[in-house]
Order: sequence, then C-alpha cells, then structure tokens
Amino acid sequence: MGKFSYVLKNTLLNMRRTPLLVFATIIAVLVSSFLVFTTLSARSIVENNTLRWQNGIHVVVFLDDRVTTTAHKQLETSLEDYPEVRTVDYFSKPEAKEEFKVLFRDQPELLAEVDYEILPASLRINLNNPSDYQLIIERLDGNPAVKEIRTSGEAIERLLSLTDTLVISASAFALLIGFAAFILIINTLRLAAYSKKKEIKIMRLIGASSTYIRLPFIFEAVVESLIGTSIAVGFGWALIEYSKSSVVADSIFDINISDDYLIFLTLSLLMFSLIFGLFASFVGIRKALND
Amino acid sequence: MISLKNVSLVFQGGSVAISNISTKVEQGEFVYLVGHSGSGKSSFLKLLYKEYIATKGEIEVANIDVSKLPKWKIPLLRRKIGIVTQEPQLLENRNTFENISFALEVMGSLPEEIDAKTNTLLDLVELNENAYKYPGQLSGGEQTRVSIARALANNPVVLLCDEPTGNLDPDLSIQIVSLLEKINRAGTTVIMATHDSSIVNRRKKRVLELSDGKIVRDELDGSYIVR
Repeated sequence: MGKFSYVLKNTLLNMRRTPLLVFATIIAVLVSSFLVFTTLSARSIVENNTLRWQNGIHVVVFLDDRVTTTAHKQLETSLEDYPEVRTVDYFSKPEAKEEFKVLFRDQPELLAEVDYEILPASLRINLNNPSDYQLIIERLDGNPAVKEIRTSGEAIERLLSLTDTLVISASAFALLIGFAAFILIINTLRLAAYSKKKEIKIMRLIGASSTYIRLPFIFEAVVESLIGTSIAVGFGWALIEYSKSSVVADSIFDINISDDYLIFLTLSLLMFSLIFGLFASFVGIRKALND
Repeated sequence: MISLKNVSLVFQGGSVAISNISTKVEQGEFVYLVGHSGSGKSSFLKLLYKEYIATKGEIEVANIDVSKLPKWKIPLLRRKIGIVTQEPQLLENRNTFENISFALEVMGSLPEEIDAKTNTLLDLVELNENAYKYPGQLSGGEQTRVSIARALANNPVVLLCDEPTGNLDPDLSIQIVSLLEKINRAGTTVIMATHDSSIVNRRKKRVLELSDGKIVRDELDGSYIVR
C-alpha cells in the first residue's frame, strides 16, 4: 500500500511538473484516437448500409411492352439459370402502377397527370455478388425483350471505394498524430526523469528496484494515453448519438451501428492506448534512467 | 561480514583501479580506508555495493555473493548496506524530516512507521531542531548527518562512508566520526574512506591503506602515515 501510494503520488507530481507538455500529449492522443474511432465507426455504418443495399435489388430489367409475355417469361427463366443470379422476380405493369402510386404519394398532381400505361413490366434481379452487374448487362445486350437496364452496383462500388479512400486517409493521419503523441510522451518522460535525476540516484543507493523507479514514469505515460483515448471515445459516442438524430439520419443513409461494435471498438482502443503508453514509457525512460 | 578474494577492477581502456586485493572485515568492525586521491578507496567501496563490477575475484557482503549477483538482485544487496557519499545528495525541495523519511517511503513503509523511525533517526543524528529546515538552511556537517540518517533508515548491517568529512572543517569532522562510532557501537559495521590523517590518528581503529589499487597496509589500531 505504501509503495503504491508512493508511485501514485509521484505519477501526479511528474505530471504537475510539466503541465503544458502533458496537456499537449493528451490532446495529440485524443485527436489520434478520435480519428481512429470515428473512421472505424463510419466504415461500419457504410458497411451496414451497403450490406442492406446489397441484399436488395441490384439490377432492374425494364421489359419492352411490344414483346409478348411469353418472351418475358422465357427471359426470366434464362436469367434464373445464370450462376451469378440469386433470384429473379417478375414485376407486372399493374404492380409497377401500384409501386408508382406509393412512391409518389406526396405528389397528387403528378399521380393525376401520369399515363400509367407507359410504366413497363420489369424483372428485378438479386445477384450473388453485386459487382457482377456488368455481366448481366453483357448477357442481355441486344435482347429484344429488354427495353432498359438499371443497376445499383456501380453506386455501391463508388461508395465503398470512397469509404476505403476515407479510411486510408484518416488512418494515415491518425498514424501521423499518433506518432507525434508518441514523441511527446517520450519527451515528457525524459524531462521528468531528468528533473528527478538526483532522486533516482538516491533511490538506487537505497535499494529501490528498477521496476519501482520506473513505475511512476510508466503510470504517467499510461495515464496520459488513457485520458486522451477516453475523452476521444466519449466524443465519438456523442458524435454518433448526435448523428442519429441529425439530418443525415433522415436521408437514405441509416446511421445504424451496433452497441456491441461500439463497445468492442472502445475496449480495443483503450487496450491499445494502454499498450501504447507502456511502449512509449519503455522507450522514453530506457536511456534516461540509464540502467 | 565482508570478504574480498583476489579482487581486481580494470576500467575500459585498461586503467587499473583495484589490483588483486584480498581482505576480510568482521561484523561490528570499524575500518578506516585510507590512501591518497586515486588510490582506489572509492572504487573499493563501489565494488562492495556493486556500483562497479569486479573484473575478477570474489566479493561477499552480508552473506551475499556480490560477484555472482545478477543485476536485478542488486537492490536486495543495497537494502543491507547504508551508503554515505562525500556530497550528501539531499533533495533540495524536501526538508530534513522528508529527506530521511524518503528512504522509508521508497521502501514502502507505512506512514506511522515512517514517522516513528524518522524521529528516532533525527534523535540519533541530533537534528530534531532542524527537522523542518531545508538543505540550503543547513551547515555542511548537518547535511552529512542527514545523509547518514537516511543511510540508516532501512537498518543496514554495513555502513559504507565515502569521505563523508571531505568538505568539512576539523571540528565538524570529529562530530561526524563520533556519530559513526556511536552507530558502530550499536552493532553496524562501518567502513569509512578518508584521507583526513587527524581523524584516523585520533581514533585508533583498524586501518586499511590503499595505494595504486593495492592494500599496502592493514593494521588494527592503525594510524595515517603520510608518505
């Protein structure tokens, strides 16, 4: 108990000795951890959304009214035989009319004016792999029963690519700031060790173990790292909660991220910051304590 | 208590600090380690608490084989030894009481033990009235006494003093030696390195004289011979 209180007291004393440097370190850790937290959370949200979209309809084949229903059915059967196709649903003209009414229920003028006869029947295709949409386009090229093909795969691919770019950029930036935090922790500890040179010398003469002499420095690095990460994670949670009730959530984008994932991310970041603090303290005081 | 067998210490670059010395110091002895500057007195003491590692030979202190002691066990050795250096090495931002209690605090003593033991040590070194003075407010002799009290805090069986009177005038030096003798009478083995002939000659104790890293004289009731 006596030893623990000594370590704790000296950790706080060390931190009080260089308050600005400690503050800068915490801020650097905070920014870096916040970037990692928000980036990974954002990626999870995008993945959830794309998964939702991917489970939906990937290709809509609008059918030409001039071709017979038998030809439509033949096309449906042949599509079902393609290995990349999971399901094909036939959507008749009356069904298209009902869907149109639902989609544009807020625009009665449009509903009153529109000629429902121009709405074509369609085949709605769900693919095993959404990126295979191009294959379907190629297969149906020149088919007289096809009037037009629309796909969602390209949009999903663009979104995933954009997300990947964002994740890579943010990770690189987080890494850079993380490195700055690492250097700051090392400097803070070296300054603390230097200012306690005499004390450390006396401790050695008295018979204090190296671990015991190091503990206040190790604690300092870990505390700074954990404070920065805890605040960052707090901000991250708050940002997600805010986003859920913001205008973004009302768009097609569903701000939906599981609590399990957030807890996992929080614990992982805290664990990482603990290891980060331990490693930084190891590097920081190895030379300064000269043992 | 302390035994050295054919011990040598050669620094990197080849300079010989200690050359093949063998000696023993029994429990409760008071030994003056004398010799001119550079004769190897400090190196001799530093070998005992493994600040320096002997190039060859065997060293035993308080039943610990110092020569074979791994680095991580050095603190265990030092807990049995009190070390007083020429510079008192006091912490400027702590008063006398705190400088002494620091040793107890570091070793994890409980607060009530720290208070009681520190007060006993303040009594021993007669610094009760200066308990709340800072090092800058103390004389050289008083600072040395604080340093001795701190070295005694963890009940060492051996007290190694490296020229503790080196910066003090004769009267203060006598006071310090009297204090060390008092500690020795209580059973602590004391080895004191000095080149102060007046102290050695006034107090007839065992004298080990070093010259060029070798023991050139070992006398009970010895004196300081100026060569």
